Amino acid sequence: MVDKIEFDICGQICPSTLLIALKEINTHSQRIRDGAVKLSFKTDNRDAVVTIPESASNMGYTVHVAKEDGCYLIEISG
Amino acid sequence: MAADPLALIFVICLGLGLLSGIIMHRSDYCIAGMFRDLFLFRRTVMLRTLCLLIISSMVLFEAARQLGLLPLYPFPLLYSPTPANVIGGFLFGVGMVLAGGCVVGTLYKMGSGSLLSAVTFAGLIIGSAFYAEIHPLWASFIKQTTFFQGKITIPQILGINPFPPVTLIVACGVFFLFRWHKAGLLVRDSQVHRYLQPWKAAVYLSVIGLVSYLLIGMPMGVTTSYAKIAGFAEGLFFREHLDGLAYFKAVPLKFVHPLTGAKLQGGGAPLFDAIAAIQFPLVIGIILGSAASAISLREFRIYYNLPPRQYVSALAGGIIMGMASRMAPTCNVWHLLGGIPILAASSLLFLSGLIPGAWAGSMIFVHKVMKT
Repeated sequence: MVDKIEFDICGQICPSTLLIALKEINTHSQRIRDGAVKLSFKTDNRDAVVTIPESASNMGYTVHVAKEDGCYLIEISG
Repeated sequence: MAADPLALIFVICLGLGLLSGIIMHRSDYCIAGMFRDLFLFRRTVMLRTLCLLIISSMVLFEAARQLGLLPLYPFPLLYSPTPANVIGGFLFGVGMVLAGGCVVGTLYKMGSGSLLSAVTFAGLIIGSAFYAEIHPLWASFIKQTTFFQGKITIPQILGINPFPPVTLIVACGVFFLFRWHKAGLLVRDSQVHRYLQPWKAAVYLSVIGLVSYLLIGMPMGVTTSYAKIAGFAEGLFFREHLDGLAYFKAVPLKFVHPLTGAKLQGGGAPLFDAIAAIQFPLVIGIILGSAASAISLREFRIYYNLPPRQYVSALAGGIIMGMASRMAPTCNVWHLLGGIPILAASSLLFLSGLIPGAWAGSMIFVHKVMKT
């Protein structure tokens, strides 16, 4: 069973969206890589929908982006 | 019957503002973010597109000048260099990073529903009002420290035709842009709905800048309108105090409108003058264009349950930018997208202050605003 940790970072000032995402990815890095947890970031920031997946991909994680109810859901998994 | 020049200018600028708002929202073309991301994340792709925008504007402005289409060259509201450009640029850099957007970025973000950008907008007006209080002191500093009096651009200072230095810089710029293009360094991998690649936004914005220069007589600028709004608001409650402020009596813009031949003027005073006819529709257009883009993509939402530190940062950033844009004088858009393409010395000094200012703002943001 994979735990899913959700973060709602809609409406926040730039670049806090990316800084929060990077901090949480680093905090949970081992559990993400072990497949025990995946992180889900909900954001309305179009720039963050580019920068968060780009940063996570460069760190070797799998990224899935979906648009839902006017926001973007970015899922980071191992 | 001849068209009313101010009405004609208003309609043209509204159209340019609407187009700019749509383009900026689709590409999230944030100039503050370009400088901030260089220092925080070593990310340079957006900064490269800014280089493209400046080089493209340089080519278009110089071509228009060669064709005799720019009777106002250099354009109005550019002045001889002074250390005030560096100081203003530095403060502006700090403010725009704290606010999460520059004076134009704030508008398109506000149009797409950002409450924090609306707070920054209020800060810009408050900062402009603060500046009016210190204007005599600052104007005196500028007067005493201005050098190359009467010369505005580097070619004017050197006493040469602008064509050779512009050609040299464009040639170097095209060399690097071509290398970046070949290496794929101008394109962003994006899954954003209806995303406009920032390099395309840069080209479109340079064309909008040229159209503004040709039809209005100057590139896009918005910050004096913030001072005007401050004047309107102050006049409602403190009329006598407002009447005593020298800043609101100055009329820095005096020009002949190239399209109609009308003699126009304007300043920070709360009146409907040439500044109001140019800048208010740009402000309104950018907000509405961005809102229309966000609504059409079903992305328009207002979120208010946000960390209090971010509200403080947005307000403080706005106030600092509002003051800095009068101290510099004028803003990043005016200097980077208008002044630098014609090699204005004051714009280059502004940039030399903006870069360390953006670094300082980034450090404050990370260590104070993001602190938990």
